[in-house]
Order: sequence, then structure tokens, then C-alpha cells
Amino acid sequence: MTVDHLLIKRNVPFELYDVDIFSASDAELRDLSKDLGLNLSLDEMKRVREHFKNVGRIPSDVEIQSLAQAWSEHCCYKSSKAILREHVFNIQNDEVLSKGDAGVMVFDDEHGYALRVESHNHPSAIEPYGGAATGIGGIVRDVLCMGAQPIGLIDPLFFGPIDKQVDLPNGMKTPKYLVSGVVSGIRDYGNRIGIPTIAGGIWFDDSYIGNCLVNVGCIGIVKRKDLVNNAVKGPGDMFILVGGRTGRDGIHGVTFASAELKENSEEESRGAVQLGDPITKEPLIHACLEVNSAGLIHGMKDLGGGGLSCVVGEMALSGGCGAEVDLDKVPLKEEGLAPWEIWVSESQERMMLAAPKKIVKRILELFDLWDVNATVIGTVVPGNEVKLRFKGETIFQLDLEFLTKGPEYCRPAKAKSPQTKKGEDFPKLPGDFDKILLKLLSDPNIASKEWAIKQYDHEVRGNTIIKPMTGKINKRGPSDATVVKPLPDSFRGLAVAVGVNPWFTALDAYRGGATSIDEACRNIVAVGGRPHAITNCLNFGNPEKPERLGELRDAIAGMAEACKALNLAAPSGNVSLYNEASTGACLPTVTVVGLGIVDDIRECITTDLKEEGDPIYVVGTTKPQFGGSALFRVFGGKGGEVPDVDLEALRRSMECLRGAMKGRMVRSCHDISDGGLAVAMAEMCIGGDVGAELDLSVLPLPNLVSLFSESNTRWVVEVDRAKEKEFVEAMDVPIFKIGKVGGKKLKVMNEDAVVLEQMVSDLRERWSKPLWELLG
Amino acid sequence: MVVAEIRIELKQGVADPEGQNTKKALELLGFKGIKNVKSIKVFDIELDADAAEAKKAGEEMCRKLLANPVIQKFSVQIK
Amino acid sequence: MRSEEIKVCVLRIEGTNCEDEMYQAFRELGASPEKVHLKQLLGKCPADMKRELDDYNILALPGGFSAGDYVRAGAIFAARIKSELSKDIRSFVESERPVLGVCNGFQILVELGLLPAFEGTMSEHPEAALYTNISGRFECTPTILKHESRGKCIFTKRIEKGRMMLVPCAHAEGKLMFAKEKEEKLLAKLEENDQIVFRYVDEDGEYAGYPWCPNGSLSNIAGICNPAGNVMGMMPHPERVVHRYTHPDFTRTAADVNGAGDGKAIFESVIESVKRKA
Repeated sequence: MTVDHLLIKRNVPFELYDVDIFSASDAELRDLSKDLGLNLSLDEMKRVREHFKNVGRIPSDVEIQSLAQAWSEHCCYKSSKAILREHVFNIQNDEVLSKGDAGVMVFDDEHGYALRVESHNHPSAIEPYGGAATGIGGIVRDVLCMGAQPIGLIDPLFFGPIDKQVDLPNGMKTPKYLVSGVVSGIRDYGNRIGIPTIAGGIWFDDSYIGNCLVNVGCIGIVKRKDLVNNAVKGPGDMFILVGGRTGRDGIHGVTFASAELKENSEEESRGAVQLGDPITKEPLIHACLEVNSAGLIHGMKDLGGGGLSCVVGEMALSGGCGAEVDLDKVPLKEEGLAPWEIWVSESQERMMLAAPKKIVKRILELFDLWDVNATVIGTVVPGNEVKLRFKGETIFQLDLEFLTKGPEYCRPAKAKSPQTKKGEDFPKLPGDFDKILLKLLSDPNIASKEWAIKQYDHEVRGNTIIKPMTGKINKRGPSDATVVKPLPDSFRGLAVAVGVNPWFTALDAYRGGATSIDEACRNIVAVGGRPHAITNCLNFGNPEKPERLGELRDAIAGMAEACKALNLAAPSGNVSLYNEASTGACLPTVTVVGLGIVDDIRECITTDLKEEGDPIYVVGTTKPQFGGSALFRVFGGKGGEVPDVDLEALRRSMECLRGAMKGRMVRSCHDISDGGLAVAMAEMCIGGDVGAELDLSVLPLPNLVSLFSESNTRWVVEVDRAKEKEFVEAMDVPIFKIGKVGGKKLKVMNEDAVVLEQMVSDLRERWSKPLWELLG
Repeated sequence: MVVAEIRIELKQGVADPEGQNTKKALELLGFKGIKNVKSIKVFDIELDADAAEAKKAGEEMCRKLLANPVIQKFSVQIK
Repeated sequence: MRSEEIKVCVLRIEGTNCEDEMYQAFRELGASPEKVHLKQLLGKCPADMKRELDDYNILALPGGFSAGDYVRAGAIFAARIKSELSKDIRSFVESERPVLGVCNGFQILVELGLLPAFEGTMSEHPEAALYTNISGRFECTPTILKHESRGKCIFTKRIEKGRMMLVPCAHAEGKLMFAKEKEEKLLAKLEENDQIVFRYVDEDGEYAGYPWCPNGSLSNIAGICNPAGNVMGMMPHPERVVHRYTHPDFTRTAADVNGAGDGKAIFESVIESVKRKA
């Protein structure tokens, strides 16, 4: 190391260095940042130096490591904050109860629901099993620390293709290996902590080969009176660290997440992937909820990115106080950790509680019943400083404002002009529509995800009403949204759906962002819910590249404008940047998790066709829009116009459709998305194990467009034939009667000409099998 | 101090889905010529005891918790 | 005895995770369930939290991954009960009080020797195993069960023989096995003793392979009871289908959306039998 001479060992019986940044040259500052794993830029290092010059001493290694954590992209959103402020933070909504570690929305008069989704991309790329598992662990803690009982997990995943050979740069793992590891990790962790995995999805694209995306979401339910602050109340509160012990696992997780993955990332970063322990987490959830509902604590926050260094500072600052911590009291997994390691470790399954001194004993007893560690490690004090001691020595003394107010950048962003019809390169297609449909159904992006769904316990807690798959037993098709019933004594439900279309976003970032909202809303309405709030995870490449930041800005704008027009709250969100390996950046991926209120879960609608003879309608306008469509992706088309979102039409369609559902006119409903009407119709036949006869002549379009366009804001609806007239009157938006339920085939005509004709059993075969065959 | 190495194996004739699935996964990763994969569980238990005592304790542990005699057999080796 | 006087001990340790719905199933039928940590029965807790097993009328072992299912599913929970609560649990069973184990609870009862319990109340070593599913995977899926008990089992008194019930399962180790060399003999013994309570069947009521039987269980067995009929273990989760609207296909059978789910009769049966006995 070239910077050893800048590290001055302090004369204490443990490992502590002061870092002489005063005498360091620019080159040495850079080396320091690199060698200590800080991932701070030269300007940021200079800013640190400026601060300590004013204080009049050089920083300890604990202090400088702590700053690196707090100022990482992951913790302070330095690249995206300005954009988020302009578009997202100003979304107004009366029903937001909290914007803490998870957002909390009004559920009913007495309850709120918590929601959040975040990324766990980089760790999962290095160690898929552990990375995904700890991702779940982290998101569950975010919901838990609002005082909410977690009730559902949501896992949208993105990988390289599994149905063809791919060239792998050194150090990268095959997509199949990653899929298998990530799904196992989610399964083993989620199932063990007893929170159902209710929604998600798996998407495949070449751009994810070097940047798999593992987004993890969680929802929870909380009595409004039990809602917790992620803050201390005031001086005299004690900090109680509960849960797992602290070790070297997960050191530098956040600084690692804020850099591009390189070939040698694996060796360098193994230490940055934490190990999960669901059997510490499971009782930790019980114990935390018990002490909270008993009214014993003032505040609670989870230890995630940045570990203790972030949680102590943020809890104290939010409560307008300072803190004093005895770092040597932290229970360790192994002897000999340096103080800075203890302070920034991201070991899993830990939470911080703030509680008045006289109640500490009862809290410790309750944790002891569950055999979960609980240790008082510090005190809340007046002022605005955090002070750390280790074996009596003061090793850290920092102003909270300076520590937590990280840098913020307005980097240059370049807008890309969206693809249009002009640049469209239509693919060569097989001669008949049957072949196109069968090929689309067996494309891994569209094919059944039963292989993963069956491995996740999606019913534990006994409250999953609409499951991820629906229809006849062992013949099920896909559900649009999952519905859970959070309260034993109420029929009110929560619908959960994912909206994401990275291919749209890559061609037209604004429309792609808006499409995520349209799709999530369509899915929620399809099961009978009222879209209420969203949370999102924005996965993009390196923001220091202007085109990437341009994509991010436009996608956020499209998403946020849609939220505003539809009065959807966005009380939480997450940005994951630097998803950019040597193979290039991942597709710009706007993962939206939408939440809807279901007034009475007994009135839910599913996608499977129900009754022979019922008429089938398409709701919404189909346009010749193929940009980013499954048809183009599968058959090699390029460019093209990305479907637009007419927000007023969306709002009205949702209102009408919901009205028709309330009037019991709708028997089944499926949104039209990947693969267009043809795929949606096939999926409805598969789940209902019954055919349909369609006539496309009512749609004023070429058959190809009618069947495979992916225009937004559309649904297929099976109408109760006794209520058809009422339905037509209720729908004050464009609707088209395209046929009726019946037979054993999906048969599509255009007047007298047969367009497509397939046995439902063959459709099922082609749709159901691919993932089982590819993933084993 | 001694270490009791306890091996828990499936009895003859009991199917081994973990082994079979691992075999399949390895083949998916491109490994060729795999005849069979057998899963075995090993516990290393550090004991403050002499070898004979440790062996006896290890066997008792198997009977009380570590092995189910219906499907598993065990062996205890002192290192 | 009135329903609300029936005290149900829903026993848990770390990793037990289906206790809320088990609790809820008994609560909705009017009984008085309580979630009790094993340490509360062992007295290793604050004084106000101590409990006695003997004060309860029913013992329920819910599903989950007790102690992480490390070593073997249910083995650690069973070993802890056996070493410290053996006498209490034996006298609980011998007093003919009902013990229900679902999923992980079934695995615990088998590891504990309370099932199949061919000889006596509790065998010293397990006589059966619930082993890894033939698929090698966790299987969360609806299953159809056929009620096979000829009348011995007190958990199914209200269910006619041959009735088909939709009860979902979610487990990775649900394949019932006996030692190979005794398999035929012990299976015959189960039949003879009327210990087979549920078998997996297909939609036509026939015994069928995967996916209808999700785990490859011996003779498609999904649930068994002890020879006395008061201890029952089953892999599928009746507590998840107490109401029609948690059935996976309830939107297809909307007429009776407010009706009972197929699992409810199990809880009704046991509550009724406790009432009658008292």
C-alpha cells in the first residue's frame, strides 16, 4: 500500500488508526479512498478534509468509514435526489400515514398498510442464494420497523436468457445458475420466516447477463396507533440493539452497491455479501412486534446498509438529539473486529430499538423468551453529535448534520429521442398465426412461472385470497394480481401487482415509466381492486453517463405524471444505479409494485374463463404499436412506436370496469400486456380449461395488430350473459364484442376466414412446460 | 479435546432427491460423465472427552437427534 | 362444556410460523386458543408467562420450520419436547386429549414417536419418516384429499368416509416412509388399525401420482392418526381453508362464497368430541 504512512496507529489496546488526510496529496486521497474501500470521489475526500480542518484534528478510521457509508449513492441518493424532488417527492396524497423506512398508507379507520420495494442486485450477482435471501431479510425489516406485521413478499427478478447459449465474460455466472440460486434463496428464507411470497415475476433479456436484478418488496399491516417512528423520542432513551450478532459479513455492502461490477468483483466482494439466518429473523419479528404493541418502545429502525453507523445517526437526527454509544458492548460473532468494522458491518437480522430506561428490563425479558439477543449499547443525549467510545477511549465524534447531509449532484443528463413508427423494422414472421402464438406462449418471458411459484409458500398465514395462479386445480393460468386479506375480522383486502416493461422504457423512457403504472393499475383493476398507492425500484446503469441519467429522468417523469393524474400515492421508493457490467448496462428497469384496495375480497375476479356461452369483450383501444413488444423481441423486430398511455382514458376505463364488477356483470377479466390479445386470451382459456370463439372483424385493424399489439389500457372481459346489456351501458369507454366462451379450442376468425385454431390442451402444454424444462 | 466426525447417510434403497437434483444441476452447468451424486451430511462435534467417551456420546447424539433410523444410518469417527 | 371453555395450546418455538392461522381457526369456532412458546411450558420465562400443559384441552402443533428444520424437519423441536416435557405430553395423550400436528407439526409428531405409535403411547425412536418430496423441491400447491378413516380418528368424526376435500399443502419433506424391510407389514398395520385418515387423490377421486400426490408418499398417504385416534398428523393445511373464499378456485364456485372451507370440519370435529367427552 502506498498510503500506509498516512495511517497512524493510536496507542490503544485495540486496532484504531487516525487517517492523516491533512498531508495527503490528491493522488494519495484517491488511493486512500480505494485502499480503505471508501468509494468516495476526490472532491468528496476534499470535502471531508475541509471539515476536519475546521474541527482541528485528523479523522479516525471509524469516522472516515462512517462518512463513506453515509455518503454512498445507496444511502444518500446523490445522483437521483434532484430528479426525485422535481417529480416524485411532490406527489400529494391525503392517505399517506408515513414516509419512513417503508411507506405507510391508510387501510381502514384503524389500520394502515406498509409497502416498500428495493434492489439487492449486486450481492445477488456475486452470490445468488445468499444475496437474494438477505434481500428478503432487509425488506422485511423495513416493514417491521414501522411496527407493521409483514404479510406478503414480492419478488420481481431479471436475468440473462435461459433458452440460449450466452457468452459470459470472466467471473460471470450463467443465467440458469443465477435463476436457480436466487429462487432458492427467496424460497428458503421467505418460507422459513413464514411470510408468503405472493407476487413478482421473472424477466429475461441479454442486457441482464452481467447485471441480474433482484428486486424485493414487502407489504405489512399495522394498527395506526402502533405506527412507530424511525427515531428516538428524546434524551434519556436507551439504544437497544436486538437480533443477530455482528460480524465481518457485509462490510462495505453499500459502497459496493454503488459501483459498477467488475471481473474481479467476486473475490473482492465476497465479504460484502451478508449471510442470512431466517431462524433468528422469525422470532425477531415476533419479539419486535410484541414490544411495540405493548407500547414499550419509542422508536425502532432496522440495520441495513451502513449498519450501526447509519442507524444510530439517523434515529438520533430524526429525533433532534445526539447519541453516545459504547461500541464494545455490541455482541460479536468473532473476536478481534476493529471498531470501524463493528460500526459499519451489515450483519443481518439486527434491529435498533429506542426505549426509556425504566422499561429496558421488560424488553430484555421478552427478547429472552424468544432466545433473541438484546443489548443496551448507548444513550440518547441532547445536542447534535454522535460520540463513540471503545473500552473508554473516544474514537468518534461527529456532527450529525455533516455526517448525514451527503453530497448531491446535478449531473448532465441527455435525453434520447424516443423511437417512432418511422424507425420501425418489422420482423419476418412465420406464415400462420398459430405458430406465432405458440412461439410467444413458450417464450420464457411469457411462459408459466409455476416452476418458481410452487417453490414459494404463497399461502402461509392463511390470508392469500387470489393466489399467483388461478383456475382449475393443476390446470391453472396466471393471475393478474394477488389479493390478501390482512385482518381476521374484515373482508377488506389488498391487491398487489407488478408493473414493469424495460423494453418499452429502453425505446421510450417516458412512455415506459408511464406504462409501468398503467400495467400495475390494469392488473389491480382486473381482480376488482381500486389502485391506491405504488412503490418502485428504479434499476439503471451508471448515472455518470449522461444517456443513462437521461433515461432515468424521463422514466421517473413518465411514472410520476401517471401517479399524479390517477391520484396514486408513492410513499416509498428505491433507486439502484450502476447496474452496468463490462457487457453494458441493464435495460432501464422501472419496477412498480402497485397496491389496491379491495372493498370485499369475496367479490374478487380471476382470469380463468368460467361459463360456456358468455360473451367476451375487449375493453380499450388497440393501436398499431409494436415498439418493445414480445412479437418484436421474439421474432427480431427493431424500433417501432412504444404504446402511449392516455391517462384520462385509463382513469375512465378503470372507473367503468370497477362499476361493472361491483354490479356482478363480470365473470373473468385479464389485462392485455405481453403478447397482446392472443396471449391474454390463451391464458384465460388455459386457466378455465375451456375454449373461446372469437371474430376479429369488430376490430378495425389488420389481424396481426388485433392479436399482438401491446397497446396499453386494455383488458379482456368475460361478461355474465344475463347482464350483457347492463355491461354495455355501464362501459362509457370503447368496448368491442369479440366472441364467446365455449368448446375445447381457441378459435379465432375474421368473418369467414379462420385466423387461428388451437386446442386449449396444446396451448397449456406450450405455456406450462418451458421453465420446467429449462430449469429442471 | 477431540473432534467426533459424524456422518449421516441414507440407508440403501432410500431415494436421494438432493443427490439427483444436484446431479441434474451439475449437468446443466456442462459437467459430463457424472455417474451418480450422493448427498451425505457431516457434523464435526468438538468434545471435551477422551476418544472412547466421545464415540459413545456421538452415537447417543445420533440416536437422540441426528439420525432417523427409518431412513438414515450413521457412523462416528474420532479425529 | 361450552366451546369457549375449550383451551387450545398452540405450541411454538422459533421458526414455527403457521401459529396465527391455527390460532384463528380455533378462535373462529368459538374455542379459546393461546399461542404458547415451549419455554413457557418449561418455566423458562418471566413468572407471569408460565403455563402448564395439563391446563389445556387440545394441543396443536402448527406448521413452519421449527428451529430452521436443521438436522431434519421437526427433529430439533421433537428432541426438545422429548428431553424436557416427555412426561407431561405422555399423560396428555394418555388422558385421550386431542393432539393435532399439521405439516411441520406432523413431522414433529413422527420424530417424537407419537405417530404412528404402533406400540404404546410414544415410541422411543421414530418408527416412520417424513422425507424429502420425490421432486426434491418445496411444493406449494392445492391438493385433493380423500377421507379414509373408518371412524377411529376423532378429528374427522363429522366427515363421511370417502368425502373429497380440497386442502392446500406447502412442504419440502412430506413423503411418508417406513423402513424398507418393514414397509409392507407396517402399511397393513396402519390399515388394520384404521390409522390412515387422508390420502391424496386426483379430481376424479382416484389415487394418482405427481402432481396430485405432491410428495410421493407411501400409498398416497397425507395424514394418519395413532391407534387410539386422538393424535393426528397431516401434511396439508386445513387451517388455510376454513372459509370457502380461501379455496384456490372459489371464484369458479361463487354461489357459496360465504360457505365453509373444506378444512373447517376437522376443527369442528375435534371441538365437538372434546365437548361430548366433558
